[in-house]
Amino acid sequence: MTDKMPTIVVVDDSATSISVYQFSIEPLAVNFIGFKSAFEALPYLQKHQPDLLFLDIIMPGMDGLNLLKELRNLAHQKDTPVIMITSKDYAQDRQVAKQLGAIDFLIKPLRFKEIREIVCKYVNVQPKSST
Amino acid sequence: MVDIVYRYSQKSCFNIRSPKKSNLALIMSADQLNYIRFWGVRGSYPAPFGSHMRVGGNTSCVELRVDDHILICDGGSGIIPLGNALMAQQDIKEVTILLTHYHWDHISGLPFFVPAFVPGWKINIYGPGESQQEIERRISGQMIDPYFPVEVETWMADIHYLKDDYSQLSYGPFEIEKFNVHHPGSTFGYRIQVHDKTIVYASDNELKFIEKAIADRSDEMSDKELQLINAMQAEELATALETIRDAHVFIHDAQYTPEDYAKKRGWGHSCFRDTANFAADANVKQLFLFHVDPNYDDTKIEGLHRAAIKLLLERHSTMDCHIAREGLILNLDKL
Repeated sequence: MTDKMPTIVVVDDSATSISVYQFSIEPLAVNFIGFKSAFEALPYLQKHQPDLLFLDIIMPGMDGLNLLKELRNLAHQKDTPVIMITSKDYAQDRQVAKQLGAIDFLIKPLRFKEIREIVCKYVNVQPKSST
Repeated sequence: MVDIVYRYSQKSCFNIRSPKKSNLALIMSADQLNYIRFWGVRGSYPAPFGSHMRVGGNTSCVELRVDDHILICDGGSGIIPLGNALMAQQDIKEVTILLTHYHWDHISGLPFFVPAFVPGWKINIYGPGESQQEIERRISGQMIDPYFPVEVETWMADIHYLKDDYSQLSYGPFEIEKFNVHHPGSTFGYRIQVHDKTIVYASDNELKFIEKAIADRSDEMSDKELQLINAMQAEELATALETIRDAHVFIHDAQYTPEDYAKKRGWGHSCFRDTANFAADANVKQLFLFHVDPNYDDTKIEGLHRAAIKLLLERHSTMDCHIAREGLILNLDKL
């Protein structure tokens, strides 16, 4: 992993769900960081802007939409590409996510290749070098 | 950063009361008691029909009164008769209202909640929202012209909107934790500790959404994908069960029959069978089937209740299962 590679951040309270992302993008040359709560993620996100941020919605404590609201108040996170991936498929949540500038809203479960394709759609990534 | 440690509660079980004793606890007079009272039990909209009166027609409102402190869960139309009852007494002049969310069936009684209009009363209001102003705006929005003749500025009580700062909320003897649930928009459930009792209130919550979503796609998945996704589902279920584990009283969404749930999956409500199974899995002591569909008359709901009891018998559960009925009082000291 190097600083030149894009950084993908996932915030999801399910450790297995984070593993799904990790497994999905393993073939890509990216830095991957997973947090299992909004409160764990906030200190990192207050300092760093990822190239792509995946947010779950239903989490203990602060939910993903409220985390996104907090982030949009930070100057360096105003334009961060954010994708909501959730099991909460309601029109009202899609609307709020859109208002907060989320670029996509996807419903669990997703296949590995679907997650990989989404990353490639929004971030300029290369496959990992075989050498 | 990605490790999750499950904390399974090791609390000892309380003795389950016999049905006969349970009925005795559901008394009609509330004086000098620490109790839970159901003032509104319907979901979606009020159902003031003759065929619905054994269960009741008002929408969500539950009162918890302990040591002369009053906690009110939701402000549906059931809060109107509660407000009138509060005006008939002199001892208590303060209440705290916990709102799960701002759909009409949970706030439509607030414009008619008389204590809010009377100087000398103090009313604390807590609900989803990133600021006190946002909570106030969500409540006052239903009291503006042309939808309502008087605005929230006519509330002469001392109104305090409580900001969600993601920590535990305390009010008198109550310790309150909120949790996020499956329902459109930001919606809370509440786990309330009072004395040595745990009451969990989750009026609107769709329990089985993810399970069906996985089943719909399982044919496309590889073995590795299915293995991880099933593990993810198990993990989410375990987290949800922890939230209600060992509750003495669990008040939960039971809006639909299986047939109606099949048509209304994704609407944010649960089938009563899923609710009964979920509560039994979490070692709940007493389940109250709540937020029932306003289209269901008494006969249908009593049939649904019998089906829930049969389901619990088949799985050898010792949990008491009740229909939440309007006017029902549960003596908290006898749980």
